[in-house]
Amino acid sequence: MFKLKVSDAKLLRDMITSISILVDEATFKLDPEGMKLRAMDPSRVAMVDFEWPKTVFEEYQCTEPAKMCINITELLKLLKRAGKDEIVELSLDYKTGKLQVKITGKYTRNFTMPTLEASEEEVPTPKLAFNVKAKVTTTGLSQAIEDAQLVSDHVRIEADNEKLAFNASGDLMGAEISIQKGSDTILDLEVKEPAKATFSLSYLTEIIKAATATSDIATLEFSSDMPVKLDFQQAKEGKLTFYLAPRIETE
Amino acid sequence: MGVNLRDLVPRTIIKLEDLGGKSIAIDAYNALYQFLAIIRQPDGTPLMDSSGRVTSHLSGLLYRTSNLVEMGIKPIYVFDGTPPALKEVEIKRRMKVKKEALVRYEQALREGKMEDARMYAQATSHLKDYMAEDSKKLLDLMGIPWIQAPSEGEAQAAYLSKRGDADYCASQDYDCLLFGAPRLVRNVTISGRRKLPSKNIYIDVVPEMVELEQVLTECGITHEQLIDVGILIGTDFNPDGVEGLGPKTALKLIKEHGNIENALPYLKNAEFPAELPRIREIFLKPKVREDYRIEWKDPDVEGIVNFICRERDFSEDRVRKAVEKMQIELTKAKGKTTLERWFG
Repeated sequence: MFKLKVSDAKLLRDMITSISILVDEATFKLDPEGMKLRAMDPSRVAMVDFEWPKTVFEEYQCTEPAKMCINITELLKLLKRAGKDEIVELSLDYKTGKLQVKITGKYTRNFTMPTLEASEEEVPTPKLAFNVKAKVTTTGLSQAIEDAQLVSDHVRIEADNEKLAFNASGDLMGAEISIQKGSDTILDLEVKEPAKATFSLSYLTEIIKAATATSDIATLEFSSDMPVKLDFQQAKEGKLTFYLAPRIETE
Repeated sequence: MGVNLRDLVPRTIIKLEDLGGKSIAIDAYNALYQFLAIIRQPDGTPLMDSSGRVTSHLSGLLYRTSNLVEMGIKPIYVFDGTPPALKEVEIKRRMKVKKEALVRYEQALREGKMEDARMYAQATSHLKDYMAEDSKKLLDLMGIPWIQAPSEGEAQAAYLSKRGDADYCASQDYDCLLFGAPRLVRNVTISGRRKLPSKNIYIDVVPEMVELEQVLTECGITHEQLIDVGILIGTDFNPDGVEGLGPKTALKLIKEHGNIENALPYLKNAEFPAELPRIREIFLKPKVREDYRIEWKDPDVEGIVNFICRERDFSEDRVRKAVEKMQIELTKAKGKTTLERWFG
């Protein structure tokens, strides 16, 4: 059987929210060491790579490796019912395939939800060589993205030795946001070669917004016209990484 | 009307939005017949321009295609060519059905039974040459690629998806599976609510996907054996199949005996089927065109307006709006990549 317990319902909810922005259904890989998930959104533009070792949880038990596919949207509805400091326990009965969601706090709620047929698809890691690696605060990153979103639905991210810049140009308006090396937002900037790549703001905004709830520091890695890798450092152990495919302007 | 594999194939309900970024080879005649059948006035009269030319198919083609493009889907229409000689019986049967429907339609009209009239009118749908020509012209103006198949459209569509030039085949019939299409989607060109024939009941029509590999695994047979199952049930090339033999029994027979030849002694009507090798050949080695070009272009807005608004009396407002929505998505899609490109 599989069972986990977290004393901070918000953490679980925020992590699941980060996954829910890309997929409605998610297949988690469970094993005695922890849980993992790797999934692409239906249009295959973005991917989430998520790992939670057992040390993150108050209690974690997995008797044998298994796959658990659940409707993320439904699970999130249940988790939203949990208050900030309430305890959440998830337990999966391998035989019946039912997931039990128990929320304990002011009172006890026991929900059950079905699991779905697990996806067999193994999502590979994109093969990428990055020229830019920028370690930034998630608050600073969110601000820059919000600025860009005012004028366009896509943004060009550029970096050289001096700065990280966000360039957005819409039909009528434009925005140039530049963050100098040494500013509070940039914790570290390594540039092998200046690079620029354009990304859809609808994806970027949602990813950064959701992941910022779980993380204060993000590492952005990219090269010209290649996918960006966004790694959100977790307070406890664990991994939350996104990949987002670029838009390549042909003209 | 196509092989009836319905009871044998596992189907997955999908959302069309999830096919965004994918290309779909659409059985053009299948789609046009649907438009002709469905897009009609309450008494069954199809849409027509001021000179009496039917325009139901153009309406369906324009609005449905622009909807698909808006969802990020890349359609390719595949038109039927000359049917294989073996299809003659089926074609005659369809003509007969239409003639009978026409008689009933006129009778219902005379008797003022509008519901019946509409139902029979749908069955009279006849795709005339000018309709196919109009459709191709509209697709050209819309910048949507189309391919003229030398013979069966579904065979050509299956060929496209086998070669990887299309991600999916779209048709209401299951024949593409016999032609070897890896993935079939149904209810692409119609969806939403649809009235059940001759009943006053509406059902939700949702897109669904059928994967050949999954069909074969679940049935426990090979592609060749699936063709044999199809032939026993009846295909366009032997519409009657074996009398009284349903899909489940047909599958059981093929699984037990391997192929039709070995199953024959166990069939009551054992003289069937004389043309077996020829029918198999149509599915296994269909006549297809290999030299096609697939290219999506920007729509020619003025060209579309000139053609269907000026010449075919469509509302210019609605047409411009539909094309505009399509253009917005096309601009967005430009330069869009997927992660798959970097999986190596």
